[in-house]
Amino acid sequence: MSKLTFHIGGVHPDDAKLSHACAIEVLPLPPVVYVSMAQHLGAPATPCVAAGDRVKVGTVIGEPSGFISGYVHSPASGKVKSVGPRKDLAGHNVMHVEIEVDPEGEEWEEDIDRSDTLVTEIPTDHAAVVEKIKQCGVVGLGGATFPTHVKLNPAPGSKADCLLVNGSECEPYLTSDYRIMLERPQEIIVGAAIMQMVLGGCRCVIAIEENKPEAIKTMEAALAQLGYKNMEIAVLKKKYPQGGEKQLIDAVLGRQVKSGALPISVGCVVQNVATSLAVYEAVQKNKPLITNTLTITGDCLPASAQHNYLFRIGMPLSYIAEQAGGVPESAAKIVSGGPMMGKAVANLDATTVKGTASLLFLSKETTKRHPEGYCIRCAHCADSCPMGLEPFLINRLYKAGDLEGMEAASAQDCIECGCCQYSCPASIPLVDNLRMAKGQVMAVIKNRRSNGK
Amino acid sequence: MTGTFLWTVGILAALGFILALILFFIAKKFKVEEDPRIDLVEKALPGANCGGCGFAGCRAFADAAVKAPNLDNNFCPVGGNEVMKQVAQILGYEIKQQSPKVAVLRCNGSCENRPRINTYDGVQSCRVKAALYAGDTLCPYGCLGCGDCVAACKFGALSINPETLLPEVDEEKCTACGACTKACPKGLIELRNKGPRSMRVYVACSNKDKGMYTRKACKAGCIGCGKCAKVCAQEAITIENNLAYIDYTKCKLCKKCVAECPIGAIHAVNFPVLKPKPAPAEESKKEAANE
Amino acid sequence: MENKIVSPNPHIHTRTSTASLMLDVIIALAPSMALSVLFYGWSALMLLALGAGFCVLLEWAIAKWMMRKPQLFCPSAAALTGLLLALNMPPSTPWWTVLIGAIVAIGVAKMSFGGMGQNVFNPAITGRVFLLISFPQQLTTWDIPKGFIGGIDAVSGPTVLSQAKLGGAASVADLDLFRTFLLNPGGSLGEISGLALLVGFVYLLCRKVVKPWIPLSIFVTVAVVSSIFHLCNPELYTGPVFNLVAGGLILGACFMATDYVTSPMSDWGGVLFGAGIGLIVMMIRYFGSYPEGVSFAILLMNMTVPLIDRAFHRKKFGYGRA
Repeated sequence: MSKLTFHIGGVHPDDAKLSHACAIEVLPLPPVVYVSMAQHLGAPATPCVAAGDRVKVGTVIGEPSGFISGYVHSPASGKVKSVGPRKDLAGHNVMHVEIEVDPEGEEWEEDIDRSDTLVTEIPTDHAAVVEKIKQCGVVGLGGATFPTHVKLNPAPGSKADCLLVNGSECEPYLTSDYRIMLERPQEIIVGAAIMQMVLGGCRCVIAIEENKPEAIKTMEAALAQLGYKNMEIAVLKKKYPQGGEKQLIDAVLGRQVKSGALPISVGCVVQNVATSLAVYEAVQKNKPLITNTLTITGDCLPASAQHNYLFRIGMPLSYIAEQAGGVPESAAKIVSGGPMMGKAVANLDATTVKGTASLLFLSKETTKRHPEGYCIRCAHCADSCPMGLEPFLINRLYKAGDLEGMEAASAQDCIECGCCQYSCPASIPLVDNLRMAKGQVMAVIKNRRSNGK
Repeated sequence: MTGTFLWTVGILAALGFILALILFFIAKKFKVEEDPRIDLVEKALPGANCGGCGFAGCRAFADAAVKAPNLDNNFCPVGGNEVMKQVAQILGYEIKQQSPKVAVLRCNGSCENRPRINTYDGVQSCRVKAALYAGDTLCPYGCLGCGDCVAACKFGALSINPETLLPEVDEEKCTACGACTKACPKGLIELRNKGPRSMRVYVACSNKDKGMYTRKACKAGCIGCGKCAKVCAQEAITIENNLAYIDYTKCKLCKKCVAECPIGAIHAVNFPVLKPKPAPAEESKKEAANE
Repeated sequence: MENKIVSPNPHIHTRTSTASLMLDVIIALAPSMALSVLFYGWSALMLLALGAGFCVLLEWAIAKWMMRKPQLFCPSAAALTGLLLALNMPPSTPWWTVLIGAIVAIGVAKMSFGGMGQNVFNPAITGRVFLLISFPQQLTTWDIPKGFIGGIDAVSGPTVLSQAKLGGAASVADLDLFRTFLLNPGGSLGEISGLALLVGFVYLLCRKVVKPWIPLSIFVTVAVVSSIFHLCNPELYTGPVFNLVAGGLILGACFMATDYVTSPMSDWGGVLFGAGIGLIVMMIRYFGSYPEGVSFAILLMNMTVPLIDRAFHRKKFGYGRA
């Protein structure tokens, strides 16, 4: 099979999958967990428990407060200590539910199937499955944490003809998706088959980058064994940002999602492999999304301190770092997520959320920004932009405050992947400014749309 | 030879004449009738094109002022009453006197008061920084110190103090155009009454967290204890979201709240130092307030 | 423990920097420089060292003392300008002309426009053209100094391009073009071997420092234009192969026209830019009063770069095919 990739731009950062050989370990629960109510894109959930309430593992503690919102479940059994604001990763106040974990043994909600037996039988009731996914609080675990049930429920009139399951994990360092593909391939494939059924039995492609040959082999074997129809594995070339929704669709199907449109407009739905696993657990095991896999890695960690952990939501990051051997002295920056698109951690006391994929400890040499130089018009930024934009131009227009120019240069299409800034030899902070430019243009477009109506 | 010469001159002259005719007719046809008073008003304005009045520039303001039935909604903060009097004279309108205002920073999170817990390493722009995270201190409301307000000020009235990393307002230069209030992503800068002889009392804090958290984040943060509100005879002080606010239209500058504040979050500026020695307690309070 | 850094994404950066890119170009010029030093001896070495050294010194001084922006100074970029300037001069050029050229290149063409990235004209070419106009005699005297390798049968005298200019295509008809391409002592330092230049250029392509479109477009245009004229009148107009290998075309196309700052940023813009250069070169060679026109052609096309950049944009994702 010929190797596929997207057609515009892209960069090739060092792979640095240092923790690829570390099997997933289960983290023990800390004495207290803090569960954030803002674990998904959209409106934060409304807490539905009060201080003093007893909760079990899997009890609903947050209810959706809008169409694009989601349920939040308790990751532990114990007593709710308080419900109140707490600082998140970026230091902003977000509603959290503080739960004191029972020290002796945990109590699960009765209807959760905790056995390991693989359930391969696919249910056939669309609405029930979507409802279950919603009830279990499943969100996209590829980074954006978009509620999955909304994505699987395309607007009337649009129909999906292809489900893409994203196992490309194109960000350097991260290995959590790789590990679950190695360790739980069958569950992922069953999850994909469930989503395939929900979307009306369309084609399903599981896309994996070529730098993960083991994962490709394991997944192919599992697929052959399970023998689902209309499902295949596609091997992609290694290139960042292959895991971007629009890039993945371009790579696998050669279709371009129009500017401002959603993947469904070209008949595609993209889901991450971790989401697929969560869907499996939700539908077949009735288990809400309270766990995910995260990678502890970084260039200043010794090989022995690299880990892949199965964590529960609500664990403080500082607790996880401690379990992994503490924050190394040489770490200059802690990043949650990949080094290209992840967020720097401003507050290590923040807790894990559904979408937490990693904790990176990066050394100063790797991560410290170089002083901003002068643009030499080399056009590396434009060559690497996967959206075909001209970052140098948008940067200049932003500084000049030219809103119309920015819109004409399509600042609103920026996906903030970081390629331009990564490749800029003069270390110009392009993404910082482009993000602002995008925000300004989006506001103008939104305004125009609401005025037009 | 002479023929070529004559031809050249002739053709060019004819061409010039035809183009001149075209220009003449176009100028006639597309002539824009404009109220001559717009020019007069524009001349009276400071001409800084700062946008403080809410219009794109001085010309736009003049245009709006001439078309408006009165001057109630049009005021040039830079020119102040002086200029508005002239404008009113030109247009034959009455104006309401507005008391002059000045930009005031409602944050006192200097490096000393508010310890830094991480180092920001992005573009030196408050907007970018605010979009990324809450800031490099524990206070998610306070000044980010990248100087977007300084860049927005067209009058050079703002500068970042390198010691406190907070912007400082030069009262002489500040024209209360309001550009900085829009530039600050945290909304920390407020236009307040300049006050008699520039004397003002205000709360130099915007932290809405509970007192416990505020205290952890900043030594100079308002904890919302409400002592100032109790002591105020004018009922000018309100406490909302754990934060005191002094309504400058009601404040009579008695300074009782300044003495009462346990944190020193209420600042009283430009008051004359009393000749008879003030009580030692009050002095120390004042020092704290002025730092 | 020190405070942790917080910054927006991305958190990693490529190892390529402006300085390393410039250094790559200098490395790509190394074969040509080595050959010219071998064949022209001390005078070539002196010109190269003087050009590079003086340009670096000058840029540092201007950035530091005149513009008060020491961060503008990039030693490898300044050295590259100096080397290119020296490579564009005959080996017998007196040393002081290089200094004047450097002042024009760095002082006038680069720093007075705002330094790094701001210049409209290629600094090295501006310097060379200034010298060519001011000191035509020194810049067109092709005495060959004694090199470290003796016994080469180079001739002092006019270059093949001058011969062609004076005597038409017939006067250079018996030239061994392949040898000229391999090794051709008798022109500017950098024109000694087209092969060495191309080897360097391939290195740049492999390192992804430059893209091939501008040189390719220049070569194709030169070949096409000269073929047409040559077919019309083979006695008067020189042929395509001659025009490709003679003079400074390869040097100009591969190393001067591809300068980041003064060339268009889009691929198709580069093609147009190259086509313009090729056309102007051939017009000057056939009809101008100078035997060679690469420098003038590049300078003229430099002026059009802002316009080209305005006209040519990249193909954006999500606007074309569905």
